[in-house]
Amino acid sequence: MKGSEVRVENADKKFGDFHALKNVSLTIGKGEFFSLLGPSGCGKTTLLRIIAGFEDPSSGSVFLDTTDVLPLAPNERHVNTVFQNYALFPHLTIFENIAFPLRLKKLLKADIQEKVTHYLQLVHLVGHENKKPNQLSGGQKQRVAIARALINEPSVLLLDEPLSALDAKLRHQLLVDLDLIHDKIGITFIYVTHDQSEALSVSDRIAVMNEGRVLQIGTPFEIYEAPADTFVAKFIGETNVMDGVITAHVDNRYTIDTDSLGPIMVTSDRYFEVGHRVRHAIRPEKIDITKEKPLGLPEDFNIFHGKVSETVYSGFQSQFYVETDESPQFKVYQQHESYLERGPAIRWTDEVYLNWDADDGYIVELI
Amino acid sequence: MKSRSGSLYSLPLTTWISLFFLVPMLIVFVYSFLARETGGGVRWEFDLSAYAEIFRQTASGSFIYLDIVGYTLIMAVSATLLTILIALPCAYYIARSKNNTLLLFLVIIPFWVNFMIRIYAWVAILGQSGILNESLLAMGVLKEPIQFLFNDYAVLVVLVYTNLPFAILPLFTTIEKFDFGLLEAARDLGASHNRSLWSVLLPNIRGGLVTAVLFTFIPIFGTFAVPDVMGNSNVFMLGQLITSKLKFTGDYPMACSLSVLILLLSAAGLVVYTVYNNRQEQQHQVVIAEDEL
Amino acid sequence: MTKLTLSRSIFWTTIAFLFLPLVVLMIFSFNDGRTMVWKGFSWRWYESLFTNQPRLWMAVSNTLIVAFTASTVATVIGTLGAIAINWYRFKAKTYVRAMSFLPLILPEIIIGVSLLIFFRMLGLELNLFTIILAHISFTIPFVLLMVMARLGEFDYSIIEAARDLGANENQTLTKVILPISVPGILAGFITAFTLSLEDFVVTFFVTGSGSDTLPIFIYNQIKRKLPPEINAFSVVLVGVTVLILFLARRSIKYFVQRS
Repeated sequence: MKGSEVRVENADKKFGDFHALKNVSLTIGKGEFFSLLGPSGCGKTTLLRIIAGFEDPSSGSVFLDTTDVLPLAPNERHVNTVFQNYALFPHLTIFENIAFPLRLKKLLKADIQEKVTHYLQLVHLVGHENKKPNQLSGGQKQRVAIARALINEPSVLLLDEPLSALDAKLRHQLLVDLDLIHDKIGITFIYVTHDQSEALSVSDRIAVMNEGRVLQIGTPFEIYEAPADTFVAKFIGETNVMDGVITAHVDNRYTIDTDSLGPIMVTSDRYFEVGHRVRHAIRPEKIDITKEKPLGLPEDFNIFHGKVSETVYSGFQSQFYVETDESPQFKVYQQHESYLERGPAIRWTDEVYLNWDADDGYIVELI
Repeated sequence: MKSRSGSLYSLPLTTWISLFFLVPMLIVFVYSFLARETGGGVRWEFDLSAYAEIFRQTASGSFIYLDIVGYTLIMAVSATLLTILIALPCAYYIARSKNNTLLLFLVIIPFWVNFMIRIYAWVAILGQSGILNESLLAMGVLKEPIQFLFNDYAVLVVLVYTNLPFAILPLFTTIEKFDFGLLEAARDLGASHNRSLWSVLLPNIRGGLVTAVLFTFIPIFGTFAVPDVMGNSNVFMLGQLITSKLKFTGDYPMACSLSVLILLLSAAGLVVYTVYNNRQEQQHQVVIAEDEL
Repeated sequence: MTKLTLSRSIFWTTIAFLFLPLVVLMIFSFNDGRTMVWKGFSWRWYESLFTNQPRLWMAVSNTLIVAFTASTVATVIGTLGAIAINWYRFKAKTYVRAMSFLPLILPEIIIGVSLLIFFRMLGLELNLFTIILAHISFTIPFVLLMVMARLGEFDYSIIEAARDLGANENQTLTKVILPISVPGILAGFITAFTLSLEDFVVTFFVTGSGSDTLPIFIYNQIKRKLPPEINAFSVVLVGVTVLILFLARRSIKYFVQRS
């Protein structure tokens, strides 16, 4: 694997009174596509800038493989950054922008020509090299920024919300391109974003951050299905949350007496005691919604009755807000897998039944 | 990112302005509190007479120096008022026209001619043997030439003349940013043309107006060349007083105390400007914050 | 439909007012007589201007020397300072920022008085050198303004990108910052140059005998009798300025088209 391992140990950063990073430690493996995911102000960009060398941590250390990089200036680290607003040099052509790092190293003209052409091909911008940045679209500018950052052959590429200035369709396309480039080049990518769907789609692993702390590190799958705490559960995807006390458990199946819905059943790999107060989550797509009461379901299914208070139709699926008899509102997703002759069968104000398997629920944390 | 380039790049600037700006200003300030040395210069002993002198009253009861300060104030206010009154409609017209650049150009072209030459031109027009007199004589309106120079009005005319572009330009910049659609909205709601200008345009260009007023009034208050040439000794403003004290009488402390006076005025102007701008900023922020709640 | 008749008439009257003195000068530069009485068309003052006015041309040359030297130095100091203020952190930043813009709001007479006293205190002889020092001092704020305005259009991330890609401080300055600042630097230089050419008050205080600049020369003559060659000179001056601008316009257009 090419690329370096990045190890952050106890990084702490204060800006005056604002505590941006609170004792953050993590290790990013060689060649990983690793995302730092979190809302604005969570510290992800600060962490990235510390790794890049634009900020110094108040305490803690950063290692690239075995080298302590903190004493090194940004131009001395084998790390390159793709900036959110591209930061292309307005006075240089695309060719010269990409060639910039090579010109600094005083490479030969022929070598520069060859290398720049190679990277232009990589980002699909051949033919545009004599234009100036202000003649390019946002997506094209970002690709120039990527080529320029890669031409130095760094062992780590840092990307600071590179897609946030682009519109939705373009974002998706560029994200796929980034993934392909990563596969091709194989170095470590550290990707900062607040968009969880971006992180879920391309990352090998994700670190979810909030208020200066890392809440969970895991694969996209782990983060989605087994969130470590309430914040992660709510930040990634949508979920229905309810609290309650464990009243019984048989093997790995627990009965929770929830405050709002009464008893529900859920299975968990973790161990909890009777009397523990816990937070339970069930994702909307895992709940089945029917007009008639479901019959013949196994006993570890949770079934509730309610009324549809709102529907949102989005083509391939509908989202239902259901008010159960006991009051809390559930969000339920239903995919439309076959042709709908007269629209979704379930409509506003319909009386419905919700059901889900105990295996599909998840105990998030003790509270 | 630690970088010592900042200190390096700013070093020449810091050194220069400290040496050639801060230090001389401090010296002026200090000198104003020293005693006068006969024959020019200062004696290094603390003396408030340079300030006391300003308030001196002669036997006949006139405050010779305060009179000059007061007179300068009146002239400066009049000149500023006239300048702004003319500059406003001009800036408005330019802002509403399609050829802003061309019109601005027209305003600026006369100022390519050297400052002194422009003043001289007015002498050539208003002087006793100037063109105004010669024309009036030739037409038989006058039997003898009148001295149009060497009075308040001649000075006012040239003060306005030399300061107009400095008022028109900032006013134009502000008015240009104004959304003229608002005037149409006002008309639609029933306001007359003049009413809409008064109640909608003016309040919204307050910032530029304040800037234009400050940048016209303060230089005029300290003006020297125009009253000296156009007014000779008939018009005597603060700038001429200071020059006289410094270059002819050699009364350094008093020249300095009067300069401190102007300095205080400028500082007050700067405070007004900053406070005003900050208050606008704060109000703007409040609106944005309320929106986000 | 707004009627602009009132503002339109005020505007054009003002333009007439602004141009009036210059038109008068221009007409009488061709006057075959010494006074403001028209005696017929003649080129004599133009001839005399170029043959008979050594002191005038001496003053012109002094003015140009001062303007070129002062603007160059002011541009260098001001450009570096603007880069520092805009993009770098350093001690005394607040002080420098405040102090540098103060001269903009002070009447020129204060600058003149303070510099005269300062030079006298240092025992400096008043000549072209002191004039140049003074001109640098009051033009620096304008250079700062122009360069900072230009720099303000760019984001700091450009500098971070340059560093990230391997540039050291020197390379960042020469290969990135200075090239993008060029329009601002040029504007600053031109502004400084123009202000220096025009200046009367500050120069008046720090000038000595024999180092007259053009404005001082004219001032001294106004009190007595100004030679009629001055009219011709003004016309020549305007002509040269227009010519320079015309030539510059083509090169400005050329640069605009290239980018």
